[in-house]
Amino acid sequence: MTTPEHMVALQDVRKQFEEKKVLDDLSLTVEGRERLVIMGQSGSGKSTILRLILGTLRPNSGSVFFKEFEITRLPRRKLQEVRRHIGMVYQYSALLSSRSVRDNVALPLEELTDKSRDEIDKIVDEKLELVGMEDSKDLLPEELSGGMKKRVALARALMLEPELLLLDEPSAGLDPVIASVINELIISLSEKSKVTSITVTHEMESAFRIATRMAMLYQGKIIEEAEPDEFKQSKNPVVAQFLSGSTEGPILEGSLDAITKK
Amino acid sequence: MANAESPVLVAQGIGHLSRNFLREVSSVFWFIVNTFQETLERMQQGRVPFRATSFFRHSQRAGVDSVPLVGLVSFFLGLTMALLTGYQLQRFGTERLIPGLVAIGFTRELGPLLTGIMVAARIGAAFTAELGTMQVSEEVEAIESMGIGPLRFLVAPRMLALVLLMPCLSTASNIAAIFATSLICKAYFSIAFPYFLDLVKDSLLIRDIVTGIFKSFLFGLLIAAIACYRGLTVKGGAAGVGSSTTSSVVTAITTVIGFDTLYNVIYTTFYPI
Repeated sequence: MTTPEHMVALQDVRKQFEEKKVLDDLSLTVEGRERLVIMGQSGSGKSTILRLILGTLRPNSGSVFFKEFEITRLPRRKLQEVRRHIGMVYQYSALLSSRSVRDNVALPLEELTDKSRDEIDKIVDEKLELVGMEDSKDLLPEELSGGMKKRVALARALMLEPELLLLDEPSAGLDPVIASVINELIISLSEKSKVTSITVTHEMESAFRIATRMAMLYQGKIIEEAEPDEFKQSKNPVVAQFLSGSTEGPILEGSLDAITKK
Repeated sequence: MANAESPVLVAQGIGHLSRNFLREVSSVFWFIVNTFQETLERMQQGRVPFRATSFFRHSQRAGVDSVPLVGLVSFFLGLTMALLTGYQLQRFGTERLIPGLVAIGFTRELGPLLTGIMVAARIGAAFTAELGTMQVSEEVEAIESMGIGPLRFLVAPRMLALVLLMPCLSTASNIAAIFATSLICKAYFSIAFPYFLDLVKDSLLIRDIVTGIFKSFLFGLLIAAIACYRGLTVKGGAAGVGSSTTSSVVTAITTVIGFDTLYNVIYTTFYPI
């Protein structure tokens, strides 16, 4: 079954790291121009979903589609071509530590297009301005704070004008103003440039600001999928506990007892 | 503690070791093949596989910067070899064999071998540590996720630099050793420099030189492949980078010596002297 009508589709995906089952028959679809936010506890496999879509991890079973391409079956060369349409922002930014900010951001254009240096410089300036980092062009990543690195990583992900943007904890570690700027940027990208985005986060505020749809990942499955307003009202005890941050509920049941016993 | 099971356990141990060994050998082999493939695919698209500046940076570091170390070690070894063989040969009145002995010994054997060992320790370790750190900080995955082939982008320039620079380095090693021999010959065995040069020219065959150069190419490829493979397969954070670097140096040096022996066995079987 191919699904060209969806931007991304995961079908019955199972992923296991040695003994630990991370994703268990998970299915999820994302439509074009949607801004999906996936929520879940740390270590619940949210980032794994992003890596499966990029094809840097392969599922143990099931299939992953990006538009009409089945990521799990593409030969290397085709997969590299498809990845150019996907921009990824890593949780810890993953900037190349021996290259300056300018060279980091310019890398995809230098390697994958025939643009001249002047053209590349122009686009670099434009993207760095979007994230408010135009003054740090000549710095090395080690000279930047965590939040600044993340903004550079976002600029790098936008260089090839991706159709799909994958964001792993984009606002974690950012101050509230910059976090809002990044949120607005993600929203405007989808409204103006028709970029679809999948964001993984557990920051409630930015999650509800960005999302057009939300999904909750728990024990390897999507247990709730709804629009933000509906999601907030969810009757699912796991979702309710997660949103309220309460210690009462099915998540980590019994851990409070263990603490009080001590 | 000996018991009835111990022979079985020993056999199992040997089995495990050989299986792991074969698995590693095939991984490195496919690593080289994949690097070539990725680079060729890129060239088929009519693009340069990697930037010239990246290649020159690695050749500067691996090649030019290694010349002092390789030269110095070879110079001292040449001195020692000339001196030790000289005193033995003097007893039979055949000191004029010293130049040929050292020249052939170095061009065919010791030059490439010594250079291989030093480059494995100096550059192999650097490649592994560098790529290993990039691997654990997700940089390699980020490169891959942009649609850039990491083998082509990271491994190919390093591999090419080592393959091309190794023969140059072993030539530097040969020259340093022969020069050292000429000093000893002059000082201890009264062989003047012009006569020394004639003796070297008379004894060296093109075959010896070609053998040495060919070996150097091979060693360069092996060291680069092992070092980069170990770097890109690092697991386990900072400690992982450390143990992979150690393992890279040990594996590369053992492989170089092993291949040298294998090469000599095959060569002398087909071209007995």
